Amino acid sequence: MKKYYMLLILSLFSEHLDAVAYCSLRDPVTQIKQLYPDKTNQLSIVKMVDDNIRAQVQVALPRNDLHFSELGQHTLYIVKEGNKSLGYVHVRSEQSEWGLVEIAWAIDKDLRISNFVFQRCRSPKKKVAQQQRFRDIFIGKNYQELKELLNSDGVTAKEEVLEQAKPAPELANVMLRCALKTLLLTEVLWGEELKKY
Amino acid sequence: MQYLLLSLLITLSFECFADFNRNLRWSLDASARLNHNKAIDNTSRIYALGIDIHKVFNRSSGDMGYGVGQVYYTKLSNQIPVPFLFDSKDDGDFIIREAHLNYTDTANWFPNVRIGHFTMPFGLEESIDTNGRLLDYHHGKNLGTKLDWGLSLNKVTENVEYNVSYTLGGKDKAKSVNGSYAVTGRIGTLSHHDFIMGFSFYRAEIDGINRKRLAIDWQYYWQTWGLLAELALGEDDKQAMQWQQEKYALLELNKTALHEQLKVYGQVIFTDKEFQKNTEKLVNIGLSYQISTQLEFSLSGRIQLNTPEVGKKQQLTRIQIRYRY
Repeated sequence: MKKYYMLLILSLFSEHLDAVAYCSLRDPVTQIKQLYPDKTNQLSIVKMVDDNIRAQVQVALPRNDLHFSELGQHTLYIVKEGNKSLGYVHVRSEQSEWGLVEIAWAIDKDLRISNFVFQRCRSPKKKVAQQQRFRDIFIGKNYQELKELLNSDGVTAKEEVLEQAKPAPELANVMLRCALKTLLLTEVLWGEELKKY
Repeated sequence: MQYLLLSLLITLSFECFADFNRNLRWSLDASARLNHNKAIDNTSRIYALGIDIHKVFNRSSGDMGYGVGQVYYTKLSNQIPVPFLFDSKDDGDFIIREAHLNYTDTANWFPNVRIGHFTMPFGLEESIDTNGRLLDYHHGKNLGTKLDWGLSLNKVTENVEYNVSYTLGGKDKAKSVNGSYAVTGRIGTLSHHDFIMGFSFYRAEIDGINRKRLAIDWQYYWQTWGLLAELALGEDDKQAMQWQQEKYALLELNKTALHEQLKVYGQVIFTDKEFQKNTEKLVNIGLSYQISTQLEFSLSGRIQLNTPEVGKKQQLTRIQIRYRY
């Protein structure tokens, strides 16, 4: 009997860890609409990014870590048009030399990046990310394909990618790390549940 | 048999809890604040322990809305002046901060509907949360209350966001007190942009005081710097039931570190009242440091630049430790 109570208590006192007060949470509704203009609603699934998940990221992506704002409970949105699922949206932040960059990534059902918009980006070169040549670095790629773009240092992109990203190679580095973490976390945390949709 | 029934009951409890637990965020939130008010030579402490809950409600076709609940046991120790929610300088009580439901499953052209106890949608405070923090945009002082019970219509569209509320003016009481009410609203550009601009209005009768306000606010962010301002014009009948004009201006410059754990800010606040000889000029300087995901340290200091007509110049130092589990 004690085990049941312990389990109940443990389940009550786990799975929560957030630095910000919850009244400040905002759904990225504008970004979701930009990514999926036909959407009628979104279905939120909240999951916990904890120290265990953080450790998995560090194993899968050596020399990469999750910033404190990336820990805690995060939402993946299943974008709906009526009852039909159009795809997924997940917002992740990445540290940069311009402060945190927050990107809303559109992910298709095969867990490939299908589009992205900035929720926040204070890079002076952020407009470069609107160019097709730059977008092609990420769009249509899955986790493995993006990982192949990483240099051996594990945090920057390969020379040919940086060439393609000119004149904003630093932004491409930040976005590549962010995209990899996004797809990895989507698979690890939400992958099983997404099979239902 | 009784063990079987008990096991079934516990299993069902887990099922119900699992369903309720879905899309539920909750944290225990504890803070200790030390204040030293040099003008009245008083040191006080405020302790708060509460629960902060956020729950998204949805069905298979999508989200229906979300609820926020924040209940805190707050204990004062030698706090002067005594906040309106308390009876004495050493009082303690359960305080409801935000407690509302926002129904969002509406047609594109129709607003979301919020009901409950929420922060009045006015000025900078609409996009920057200050509950439980030392950072403050003088919302309560300007409007007569920071939070109120009522209803709001709100939406974030492709180009603008708006929030208009009708509340009862009872502040912590979910009722109108002697005819109290408040109509508040803000319409602005999207709050995730680097340049944000908003217009706010306010008409209220709270605590027997009528207030009218029109305000403009803006925020500009350049890399890790932020420049924020709010200008409010209006009138109230605080002085012997006679209308007096009031102007209020706030200017803030802030800087965050690249990792965003450290934030420093400086504010200047000017308040000019028609029947007051001097313009009140205040300077606030503060910092907050997020030591870990759970632990935040913050510090703020306030000085008054002008000499007030009565009493001493404001000089307030505050330190706070906040822990969220």
